[in-house]
Amino acid sequence: MSVEIISAAESFLAAAIRMGTPLAIAGLGETYSERCGVLNIGLEGIMLSGAFFSFIAAFLTGSIALGLAAGILGGLLMSMIHAFLSIHLRADQTIAGLALNFLSMGLTSYLFLVVFGRSTQLPECPVVGRIAIPLLSDIPLIGPVLFNQDGFVYFLLFAVAASWFLFYRTDWGLQMHGVGEHPRAADSAGLSVYRTRYFSAAMNGIFGGIAGSYLTLGLLGFFMENLTSGKGYIALVVVILGRRNPMGILLASLLLGSAEALQFRVQTMGSTIPSQVFIMFPYLITVVVMLFSIGKSKDPAALGIPFIRTKRG
Amino acid sequence: MKKMIMTVMVLTAFSFSAFAMGADDAAESGDRPLKVALILSGPANDQGWNAVALQGLEEAEAEFGIETAYTENVGVADSEAAFTDYASRGYDLVIGHGYQYGDPAVRVGARFPNTKFLAIEGGSSSDNAASYVMACEEAGYLMGVLAASVSKTGKIGIVGGFEQPSIIKILEAYKLGARSVNPDITVYDVYIGSFTDVNLGKEAALAMADQGADVLSHSANQAGTGTIKAAEERGLLATGDSFDQNFIAPETVVCSTIYSVPVLVKTAVKAVMDGTFEGGVFNLGMDTGIVGISSYNGFDAELSADIKAKIADLEAKITSGEFEVPLVETRTN
Repeated sequence: MSVEIISAAESFLAAAIRMGTPLAIAGLGETYSERCGVLNIGLEGIMLSGAFFSFIAAFLTGSIALGLAAGILGGLLMSMIHAFLSIHLRADQTIAGLALNFLSMGLTSYLFLVVFGRSTQLPECPVVGRIAIPLLSDIPLIGPVLFNQDGFVYFLLFAVAASWFLFYRTDWGLQMHGVGEHPRAADSAGLSVYRTRYFSAAMNGIFGGIAGSYLTLGLLGFFMENLTSGKGYIALVVVILGRRNPMGILLASLLLGSAEALQFRVQTMGSTIPSQVFIMFPYLITVVVMLFSIGKSKDPAALGIPFIRTKRG
Repeated sequence: MKKMIMTVMVLTAFSFSAFAMGADDAAESGDRPLKVALILSGPANDQGWNAVALQGLEEAEAEFGIETAYTENVGVADSEAAFTDYASRGYDLVIGHGYQYGDPAVRVGARFPNTKFLAIEGGSSSDNAASYVMACEEAGYLMGVLAASVSKTGKIGIVGGFEQPSIIKILEAYKLGARSVNPDITVYDVYIGSFTDVNLGKEAALAMADQGADVLSHSANQAGTGTIKAAEERGLLATGDSFDQNFIAPETVVCSTIYSVPVLVKTAVKAVMDGTFEGGVFNLGMDTGIVGISSYNGFDAELSADIKAKIADLEAKITSGEFEVPLVETRTN
């Protein structure tokens, strides 16, 4: 019996990590952007672009590495469009983000149609394997869940630590913080607001592209229209829940991942609660956590506000 | 200059979206071949629900020499306008492809008594508006029988899209079919609340596999592809839905339900041509050739003769009306 419980717990935790990882990677990217004052709600579009281009490259070349590179470029392309519109042209960041989502949706669907036509085949690409870390992966329960994962999960753990260090222990992190809180003061101090923001937008694109690639190269091995199905929006929630702190984002994404993984397991237990209630789970948790954290969240002061260097005041 | 660049970029974005949606309209002509219009809820290249309807329209065009037009991505709010548009342009039959078009068809139908309206899977009707409902539960029942017959663990699972009557009736029939073979069988059923999220479809299936299910089925459109891939990944068996999905995983998909929307569309067009089209809600099942099951493809040799005979026998009885698959539209345990 206890063996059964452990294996059920293992499979639940593994599912929670599978579903939380893309949210965390994308959320981490968005954090870079938002800490500098650029709100990019086009995250869904970035992920979708990453998913599409990683798939198409991996499908054509059979190489996961090239697929990942293409996915990163796809994400980068999308985020740079947003960066150019919102940093350079000072467009409304929300509108530009929305446009990005529609652009990515249309573009990927159209290109997918161009390449594969209205075929009845399901084109497939290779999927990354798991890497078991010796010794650590033998620990009961935690071992198989944490230390027998694919490269994307290890990358996430590394990126969380590295980003935390960058944000809180380096000059660069301080610079980003300054640009996000008071760009004029940062500018007066001789920092380049534009350059910092472009750097962050690029990080957003890279991480978003990797998150999208995880869906195709890590989880599914195929692409379909609107593959991301709103995961980019949930990743935005993760950023707010995790308060733009890498550790917080990791925890928030695991929380939402667990909620999603839990809904299937409760349903299969023959519960009489309507399925719609479970589908609300992740969102319900979000609302509850937000309720309890009222007042604690502090957005960067310049979030969403374009910086105009030549303007006074 | 900056404004111009932005305008150009936004326009590019929109034109790409428009490309993908592929708006299409046939030109009008003065002649009088029968004119049939089709209203779709999503894109026509979804390799599923909407694609098969368009395929039906194209087949009808080739077969009967009718004139056709279609509109994609019509939301519920725009559906009355779309129906009115086609009716006022002299179309003889306007088809709305989905349950949600039932009421708009009846309302617009009252203003255009000489035009025929059809809602596929609809639930309402009037003198000149009909709803054709596919008896998908008949095929779902057979999938349940098949899944229970090939299961070794005594546990099977089915993933549903949204918890709505048109899907519930398939999952409930599946459960009944499975229990007719093995009363003690465990049937997991999960609704994922999406027809498109393949990752959810896969995770739901993996959750069932983790609990010992060895045959995984679905009725979740595109999201169901994830279910089939989950079965393939775990080396389990699966059944497909809507059309022969064996191509997705030839070593995994034993059989699929077939809901032949093309035949349904042609049935409606033929009825209008013959003047036999009338209002009402019609249930169209195996006897009309609209609902059926696929061949076993590569599994034909592996399945025992007993199982195949049993399925064939049930299929014949359902077709002849000797056996009626119960229609259950609320979820049970």
